[in-house]
Amino acid sequence: MIVAEQKPLEDIIRMIVPYERVLILGCGTCMTVCDAGGEREVSFLHNALQLAQARSGEGAHTFSEHTVKRQCDPEFLEALGEKTADVDVILSLGCGIGVQAIAEYLPDMPVLPGVNTSFMGMTKESGVWDERCAACGECRLEDTGGICPITRCTKGILNGPCAGVKNGKCEANKDMDCAWILIYQRLERLQQLDKMRRYYPPRNFRAIPRPRRIMSKAETVTGESNG
Amino acid sequence: MNVANTSYPVNRTENVPDHSLVPPCQDACPLHMDIREYVGLVSQGRIMEALQVIRTGNPFPSICAYVCTHPCEDACRRSQVDKPIAIRSLKRFAVEFGGDRMVQAEAETTHAEKVAIVGSGPAGLACAYYLKKFGYPVTVLEAHSELGGMLRVGIPQYRLPREVLDIEVKRLTRMGVEIRTDTRVVSLDLLFELGYKAIFITIGAHQSLRMGIEGEESPGVIDGATFLREVNLGLKPSLGRKVAVVGGGNVAIDAARTAIRLGVKKVSILYRRTRAEMPADPAEIEQALEEGIDIRYLVTPTKVKRENKRLNVTCIKMKLGKPDESGRQRPVPVKGSKFSEQIDTLIAAIGQAPQTPDDFGVRIGKGSTIQVDPNTLTTNRAGVFAGGDAVTGPATVTEALAAGRLAALRIVDYLQHRYPLPVKEAKEKLSGDLLPETIEMIKKIERAEPPSLASEVRARDFEPIELVYSWEQAINEARRCLRCGVGVEILFQDKCATCLTCLRVCPYHVPHLDASGAICIPADQCQACGICVAECPAKAIVLRKPFDRRQVNDELSHAIKSAAELKNKPLIIGFCCQYGLFGTGTLADLWRGAGAGVSIVPVLCVAKVEASHILSAFETGAEGVFIAGCGEQCARENTTYWVQQRVAKVRKVLGSIGLEPERLQVFALGTTTEDPVEELDKFVEQIGSLRLASVIKGEVKS
Ligand SMILES: Cc1cc2nc3c(=O)[nH]c(=O)nc-3n(C[C@H](O)[C@H](O)[C@H](O)COP(=O)(O)OP(=O)(O)OC[C@H]3O[C@@H](n4cnc5c(N)ncnc54)[C@H](O)[C@@H]3O)c2cc1C
Ligand code: SF4
Ligand code: SF4
Ligand code: SF4
Repeated sequence: MIVAEQKPLEDIIRMIVPYERVLILGCGTCMTVCDAGGEREVSFLHNALQLAQARSGEGAHTFSEHTVKRQCDPEFLEALGEKTADVDVILSLGCGIGVQAIAEYLPDMPVLPGVNTSFMGMTKESGVWDERCAACGECRLEDTGGICPITRCTKGILNGPCAGVKNGKCEANKDMDCAWILIYQRLERLQQLDKMRRYYPPRNFRAIPRPRRIMSKAETVTGESNG
Repeated sequence: MNVANTSYPVNRTENVPDHSLVPPCQDACPLHMDIREYVGLVSQGRIMEALQVIRTGNPFPSICAYVCTHPCEDACRRSQVDKPIAIRSLKRFAVEFGGDRMVQAEAETTHAEKVAIVGSGPAGLACAYYLKKFGYPVTVLEAHSELGGMLRVGIPQYRLPREVLDIEVKRLTRMGVEIRTDTRVVSLDLLFELGYKAIFITIGAHQSLRMGIEGEESPGVIDGATFLREVNLGLKPSLGRKVAVVGGGNVAIDAARTAIRLGVKKVSILYRRTRAEMPADPAEIEQALEEGIDIRYLVTPTKVKRENKRLNVTCIKMKLGKPDESGRQRPVPVKGSKFSEQIDTLIAAIGQAPQTPDDFGVRIGKGSTIQVDPNTLTTNRAGVFAGGDAVTGPATVTEALAAGRLAALRIVDYLQHRYPLPVKEAKEKLSGDLLPETIEMIKKIERAEPPSLASEVRARDFEPIELVYSWEQAINEARRCLRCGVGVEILFQDKCATCLTCLRVCPYHVPHLDASGAICIPADQCQACGICVAECPAKAIVLRKPFDRRQVNDELSHAIKSAAELKNKPLIIGFCCQYGLFGTGTLADLWRGAGAGVSIVPVLCVAKVEASHILSAFETGAEGVFIAGCGEQCARENTTYWVQQRVAKVRKVLGSIGLEPERLQVFALGTTTEDPVEELDKFVEQIGSLRLASVIKGEVKS
């Protein structure tokens, strides 16, 4: 799941200055799950912006709110319908993808990002999320016992642990487990310690061809070109 | 008048789906009273409203408050946690403190068809009450010199003071119910000839069953119902020094306890089974033992002989054999265990049956009861209805009241030539037991019993023995209610993002994932704490009752409207829990003592105050906001923790728009050493100075 954090209120207030009528738009999927932009957060931000405006006596915004099921699919955006007719800007509480999907779907409407999209991760406990994947495009979890050294090792090294490990913790942050110690322990349990003894060549930092695209369907239907 | 509506409790808010379920207490009550609602009102100290709810469902609540056998308590789900809610005692508290005796009942006669009611027990009086309310002229005909049936001539005064019954009778007379005492009805034809269009027979079950043993007719042997009737009508039968009562039901216990009060030195009860099978109310058995009554189990008399002005009673010991039709083990005599005893009086209280005059012409069934259609209470004769003990055999006051109410509705249907409307349950029933993991998390709070007279004192006379709760006791007892069936639901499953927040935050482990990966919140486990409602990031969870759902918002807008009048003072908005002690006056002290314009938003538990609500309070111009809850006294789990989470979140917003975070405070009883009133005073002062500072800042700016 994609994890994000709502931008500081000050930043949001600054961003909306040029616009009068602001639609705060939530996303009912990842942003709801990570507490950054679901219906509850949309309402809360709405209240906060109104309070800020009332207290400062500055700004003459009018706010409206709505939440779609998922911002990253244009079909869900169709549900917006007339809701965008009387607004000057959409303040999206979707992740960076949602913001762009709206920009593509509504070519004449400015869109502002209300959250800082942070990482792909998992829930540690209610209200706490940890990064787990960097979308590097070259997954090596097979060799590392299902523990990602790229996101969980501060240095992202492929042949760890480095000399900075002390009592199983990382030298950069004493509260953080050393990813490579975790990998070692797990491989030991799985009786695959031989994988530790191998040498992994450096990652290929050549530019990844962008924009990337993935297809889960056949690229061409026989007899037709996809042009 | 819509008759169909009068049989159901009225919904508070129209047109909004109410998905609350019928709790087991209400389902078990023959009158189907809205127990959860009035217990909830008592727990908030709203006694007058509690009484209103009680009166909507019960024509004579003060009587039930003394003598109801409370099947609701037997069904109460709290007994799976510790002990059931003391529902009857709470009703007693509500009728006493709410002033039930002052309530005026009025009725106008709007119809011409006269109805006759034969018998003035609870069934007859309830039917008279409702028919009169519906506008029909009613006459109650009673064989005895006074009204009330078994309430007058059966139940002893120490359990039901006659003054309580007299108030109800007076109310009926004031409503215009015509009363004819000393009138035994022997034929119904005469009543029809006199112009009555419908007749309700409620003659009760007053014929005592015979023991069927030798010597039963001897002087000195008396039946329980007759004995109690004589005492209740002011006679003082001479019983001698030693009395034995035969039987194990409430009548036997009442007869024994009455004998003790008449000064008999030694009273024993002979019961042929064991205590476990005894049908009498356990609490009353306990009280009888306290009063010095000797209960002898597995004993039955076989012969009585009058000798030297005393009775020689031969008894035999019993043991329990194979189960009979009723499922209880049948007692069988133990060979060679006969013994005899000298006593002065033998009271046989082994049951009663109705005795219907032959000339009534109604069909009689098993146990001499009158046969009726259970849905319409019609007999085989047109225009003749029957109900109460006469139909069921000896039962209870509430069942009789329910029969009286049903009869009134069906008689109206009959008189208006209407096909009786089907009695349809409007709401689903709550079923299913609490799970062990839910029970484990529910706070155990001891059941408070109302005070009663000491056993040495009470056995001397017929003074009522049960006293009333104090205000504090009642509120604490009412707070134990689990509010079964008013929890939460996911109104639109589609909104749920399956984020699992609810599953993680619920203190009672209620929400769970089903096999298809959808979140379920089972109604039979939810404790209605409201934490998940505020925490769900998709706003997918709502409280089942529309009133609960809108409560905080509605109250907030009320508070804001009234606050508009306090122009010159700094406005402070306080979200205050209404349960427990906050409902009793501590809250009132809070505002009275305050030097600012404090506007209170009453909430049913602070856990239902969302972060957005707090921001809205500031938005309306409040200089300070506080949340006051019962802290450690809260009957629910983790409520203060979640309030603190939301407060931290709001304080962050306040900080980023230049408002001091101290403008938002939490007061929880029991968590600070300070008196909440003093704490609030300090807060008010602080807000006052913050405001001054901001005014000065404002002036410097401009
Ligand atoms: C000792 C005792 C204690 C009890 N304690 C409790 C208790 O604690 N809680 C509880 O819920 N229930 C209790 N009950 C049961 C309860 O009192 C009865 O179930 C209830 O009163 C039945 O009401 P009813 O209206 O059907 O009949 P009743 O109350 O029996 O009233 C019938 C009336 O009809 C009159 N009548 C009979 N024939 C005629 C006629 N031909 N013409 C005119 N009038 C006639 C009778 O005089 C009587 O007044 C007790 C019963 C007894 C006997
Ligand atoms: S806990 Fe309350 S709502 Fe539930 S059965 Fe008991 S009295 Fe009724
Ligand atoms: S908290 Fe709300 S969105 Fe999350 S699983 Fe529960 S109902 Fe669904
Ligand atoms: S209302 Fe309370 S008890 Fe019910 S599911 Fe939500 S958190 Fe659990």
